[in-house]
This record gives sequence, C-alpha cells and structure tokens, in this order.
Amino acid sequence: MSDKPIHKGPHDLGGTAAGPIDTTDHGMKFWERQANALRNTLTRRNVVRVDELRRAAEDLGDLYYKLAYFERTTMALRTLLIEKSLITEAELKARMAEVRARFDAPAATPSPAKKGMGR
Amino acid sequence: MSDTSFDYYARKKHDHGHHDHAPAAGKDEGPPSEYEVMSRAMQELLEAKGVVTAEEIRRRMETFEEEFPYRGSRVIARAWTDPAFKQRLLKDGKAACAEMGVELEATRLIAVENTPDVHNVIVCTLCSCYPRELLGMPPTWYKSDNYRARVVRDPRSVLKEFGTVLPDDVIVRVHDSNADMRYVVVPMRPAGTEGWSEHKLAEILTRDTLVGVTVSRVPAKG
Amino acid sequence: MTRGKRTKPRAKLPSTYNPAPGHRFNVGDRVVIKRAFPPGHRRTPCYIRGKEGVIERICGAFPNPEELAYGFDGKPAKVLYRVRFQQKHVWPDYKGPARDLIEMEIFEHWLVPASGRVKPPSLSQNG
Repeated sequence: MSDKPIHKGPHDLGGTAAGPIDTTDHGMKFWERQANALRNTLTRRNVVRVDELRRAAEDLGDLYYKLAYFERTTMALRTLLIEKSLITEAELKARMAEVRARFDAPAATPSPAKKGMGR
Repeated sequence: MSDTSFDYYARKKHDHGHHDHAPAAGKDEGPPSEYEVMSRAMQELLEAKGVVTAEEIRRRMETFEEEFPYRGSRVIARAWTDPAFKQRLLKDGKAACAEMGVELEATRLIAVENTPDVHNVIVCTLCSCYPRELLGMPPTWYKSDNYRARVVRDPRSVLKEFGTVLPDDVIVRVHDSNADMRYVVVPMRPAGTEGWSEHKLAEILTRDTLVGVTVSRVPAKG
Repeated sequence: MTRGKRTKPRAKLPSTYNPAPGHRFNVGDRVVIKRAFPPGHRRTPCYIRGKEGVIERICGAFPNPEELAYGFDGKPAKVLYRVRFQQKHVWPDYKGPARDLIEMEIFEHWLVPASGRVKPPSLSQNG
C-alpha cells in the first residue's frame, strides 16, 4: 500500500479525466465468456465472493490501468484462488505451461448474443 | 466424461491434435494471451480438484448467451402495455420480474422511468455492476474506463457520443450502481406503437435503451 | 415468441429491498457524505465524499462489503440508502443544467446529518 494519506484506488474512476468512448459493443471472445461463467459459478456458490474479487482487482495498483477488463478479472481470480489455498502458484505456473503448449493460434469465437437485439 | 463438444479448449486437451472443429473464425486473433492461458489453467485446476465441473461452466455460459439477454426487453414491454404492472415494477423490480417468471437470482433490481421531464442513465464507476440476469453481459463500452469516468461528470456529452441529445429542460439523472442495487431504465414508449404486441415492442427495447444511452424509436420505414 | 405466461400468485415474491431495522435516516433527510479517505475496499466513490444530498429511498440492511471483501461475513448488516445529489453540488465545473441529478447507494456509516436550510433537489418541474 502507498504512504499517501488520501487513498483512492485505481478503480475509483468517477470524474477522472478521460477521452472519447468507443460506443461499439465488441462483444466477448470465447475465453472471456468462459471466464465469466467460471467466475459466476464460483461466486454463486460462495467459493469466492464478488466483494473479494473486486478488492483483488482494486489492489492491482498501477497494473490496473494496463490491463483490459477480463485481464483484470483473471488476475483478481488468481489472487483469490491462491489466497484461499484453492490452488498454489506452482500448480498454476505448471498448468499454464501445459495449456500454452497445446495451442496453435485458435481463432476467436464470434458471440451468438450479438444477433437479434439491434445492439 | 462431461460433454466437451462445446468447449474448444477441452477438445484440444483431449485430442492433442489440430481439428477444424474450431469455433467459426473471424480474423485470426493470434496465439492466446497470457490471461487467456491463465484463466483456462485456473479452470482446469478447479475441475481437477472437483471445485467446479466443465458441465456447469458450459451450462452457465449458455444461460448467459441464450436466456439472460432477452429478458429485459420482455419485462419492459410488459410494463409498456400494462400500467398496473409498470407501477409494481417501479415499486419493486425484483418482485415484479418474479411475477413474470423472471428470477433475478442475486440481483436487486430498481427500475427507473424516463418521462418527458427526466432521462435516466446507468453506470458503475467502481467496476461494472449491471443487472446481468436481466440484460445479459454488459457491452464493452459500459465496462470501459472512459464511460465510467465521464458519464457521472458530463453525462450530456457522453449521451451525445451515443447520438442522444436532450434539451436543457429535461433533467438528466445518472445512477451510479455502486452497492447492492442494480438498475434498468424504462424508456418512454414512442408514438406510432399503438396497438403493438409485446413481442413487437420488445424489439425496439434494445439493450442500449435499457441502460439509458439511447431512447427507444420506431425504426424508419426503409 | 409467445407472451410470457402468467405465473400463479406466490405466497411471497422476492423483493429488491431488505428490512432496515433501526435505520437512522428517513426519505427526505439531508445528509453529507463523510469526507474521509481510508485505505481498503470502499463502495463510496471518492468523487462523492464530502458532498451533500438527500435520502431518496431506504434500500435496507445488507452485509458490509468493506468486510466481505476480506473474507469476513459483513455482519452486522448496515443500512443502505439511495442518496440524490444535484450535479452542480458535486462538480464545481458542472456544465449541464442546474436541475441535473446524480444518485447512488451509500451505507449509513458514511452519512452524517446535514445542517442549514437548503431545499432538497426533486424530480418535478417545480423542484
């Protein structure tokens, strides 16, 4: 934590200077939809709480500004799973190496939810 | 063994080969990012430890894709055609949805009504709180840092970026969804929709009108 | 698409709101958000701290997110209120009309009663 007496997390964005909004909805990639389902399943069953995940994202500090939305939420889940001893860092590192080794450039899945509602 | 046909990554894991069951390609996105790998790895570890199953993740993905996004427009279309239901919705959103068989699970819904005098718009400045069980997943712009930063401070110029211009005699009322409540806007029903079925009304109750960045319109005759 | 079926009336429908036993504030009360910036997980945005508004509705008592965030049970629950502010009182440089509003949810322990005699903001044309 910083030694500043006024604490404002990187997430506390209301009223901060910002540029134009990309008003197009870019939808979600397959892995993002799956990550969302994983997160939602864990919180519905109280394995982790939404409040804990928010706190972990807020604690990313300067990294928060460098990450996209699902990158932040992935890092937050990583923090909580290790914090709660559900996984270890070593296990995660090993499994990531395994997952990485399997891939040869899969394409993103277009989201079926983009159809139909004139968004 | 759980059904992994929906799950491209699981197929890769089990097949150890390159199949063309890959999800329909847009342009090639390149190799997975570190975070995609991390997310997948965490899921697999939790599956291996029996904390979650691939099947329940798959089912939850389907619910988010096939069920949640279509509920909001149905509920608001009902409110447009049934004034007593609308009052119940405005009084207690969760109860009114339950009345219709729309179970919002954890979501505590507050419906806010647009009138000739007031235009409502929703944001979560602190993260991305959104009535997911009613509207599905939020759009990328809703989760963006720029929307979260600016809509509370200069809502009228943000609305202009979405093509929505409001006269000065209309109050713009911003709702920062920062704790346990979640919000949906009841847009004003446009003229020219008299006698429309709920189904037809639901088609002009697009997601963006229910978050409040646009107003509901009768599509121009092409 | 078929019209949604009418469900049978249930004994008790789930509610958006919780009971609020012992709530300190009532709808219409003028309040000020505490001007404090402690570290940790807070659901009171920094931009609203120190600002004055009016209680718009009582949401009920909910487990305290400031405790839930660290793995505690958040009890005793704290009463949550919706508070309404005039934008011109929140942002010194607010460019929009004077009657524009911003509303959000604030927990009771972040609220203190306001003093002085200022008319609270309303939604009506006469407000």
